[in-house]
Amino acid sequence: MSLTYTAHDVRRNLRSIPNLVFVALLPAVLFILFGAVQGWSDARLPGGNVSAYVMVSMAVYGAVTATTAISAGAAVERLQGWGRQLALTPMGTGGYAATKVAVALLIAVLPVVIVFLVGAFTNASMDDLWRWALAAVLCVVVSVVFAFYGLAAGLIFRSDTAVGAASGALVVFAFFGNVFMPLSGGMLTVARFTPMYGIVGIARYPVTEGEVATMGGAPQTDSLLWLVVNAVAWAAVFGIIALLAARSSTGRR
Amino acid sequence: MNTTHPPQPHSPAIQVQDAVKTFRTRSETVRAVQGVSLEIPRGGVVALLGPNGAGKTTLLDMVLGMSEPTSGAVSVCGERPRAAVAHGKVGAVQQVGGLLADLSVRETVTMIASLYPDPLPVDEALERAGAASFARRKVAKCSGGQQQRVRFALALLPHPELLVLDEPTAGMDVQSRTEFWDAMRAETERGLTVVFATHYLQEAEDIAERIVLMDAGRVTFDGSVDELRSTSRHHTVSFVWPGGEPLPEFAGATVSRRSESRVHLRTEDADALARELLTRTPASALEISRGGLDEAFAALIHRDDAAA
Repeated sequence: MSLTYTAHDVRRNLRSIPNLVFVALLPAVLFILFGAVQGWSDARLPGGNVSAYVMVSMAVYGAVTATTAISAGAAVERLQGWGRQLALTPMGTGGYAATKVAVALLIAVLPVVIVFLVGAFTNASMDDLWRWALAAVLCVVVSVVFAFYGLAAGLIFRSDTAVGAASGALVVFAFFGNVFMPLSGGMLTVARFTPMYGIVGIARYPVTEGEVATMGGAPQTDSLLWLVVNAVAWAAVFGIIALLAARSSTGRR
Repeated sequence: MNTTHPPQPHSPAIQVQDAVKTFRTRSETVRAVQGVSLEIPRGGVVALLGPNGAGKTTLLDMVLGMSEPTSGAVSVCGERPRAAVAHGKVGAVQQVGGLLADLSVRETVTMIASLYPDPLPVDEALERAGAASFARRKVAKCSGGQQQRVRFALALLPHPELLVLDEPTAGMDVQSRTEFWDAMRAETERGLTVVFATHYLQEAEDIAERIVLMDAGRVTFDGSVDELRSTSRHHTVSFVWPGGEPLPEFAGATVSRRSESRVHLRTEDADALARELLTRTPASALEISRGGLDEAFAALIHRDDAAA
């Protein structure tokens, strides 16, 4: 893996301003709208307040937007001939994948840092410093699941516009994954099986310790095991789809 | 994996033995390369000439290790193609794609250079490829000819022993084409082996010492430009014909061109035609020339069609 290559690729991604607005600023704005300024923001959860809960949710949303965009872009750039150029260098497919994961995670750090800073300077609070640190690290780590999603989308649709659509679909996943608005009843039951539910639950664990925030209704909890199973299962599903798409794209010629 | 082929310093740049490559599509099996054997020694410039679909790109893909032959063997500088590529022995300018539009020229070269253990310095690669003057430009804003020079700079990075160019000047205007080949000539003077695919006959004639002609997946000719020219059995006999006089039919000859004063006839037996013209007709100022490269080329390409 080449540091120079990785650094140039990160810089190249940071240069595309429109993407950056979506990745870094939108989650911060969403946090302020749905977290910081709301009346419920000071309500208590086992490890912090509701404002911190919303903060982590939005940071995860920003991070997956980043990893989706980077990995989908990687698939498209490979199909458009950059892959042939790289095939003439000593960097193999493994090296390329490692580089792109590094780039995606580095870009994913950006929204997490911004949202957490906004949270820290407003009214997000967690009981311990380690909860802050752990939550921030988890936000970045869990976003890897959506690197597979982006990869699959890029390999299947093979164009930048379709990749944009795949990024847009993240809003739907986020809504049904209990990321934005606390869901309840039947919606919440369905949500437990959607792809963002597991990862956002894991990232919020330092705040919630499994407690599910609902707007009224009986209190519920999620086991960490269930959240991990959800995340791993969806990573596997996206990964397998990406693998199949990659096979058919190389089999063509 | 490499135990069978230890790299040998004097092995040929490219060795292809009975290479066959077939592609299976849903409806049919395409036999892109149908048994090609070829040896290209080190040094020198070889043109791989042929019409579109002749199998040139497929053959070069196997040489670059982008695909494996269905049967037969390909070795490059005495190694398996992938190993030769990984060891930086091969540089290539490919036909399509291959560049990221939102990078600058210098960034592109810097990124690829960083992947090699001991690359040519970026500035030197840009200079030698003739890309230094627009190094700060975004790739998206470069002309087709400039993008080819960027690819050329990338090809030079690993200090290659062999340069493979797939239709490197396609879509270039005359001036960029000349400049491109001037830069390439400087590289061959350093001892590089250059193999380039083209469907421009003129380019093959001007640049290459040796021409390998491919058609329908096979090598139909392999030799020097002069040898290619001499494969043409046709001669052109031209003469001045008096105005107003009707031109009779001549056995075994066809009119290939007729200007105001001169008539050009194409024939396989120039001597007999000349004898007849000078003894029995008012033809004067007779000239005989051997068929051009174009004719030789056309004859070699269409021979297979006729046989099929």
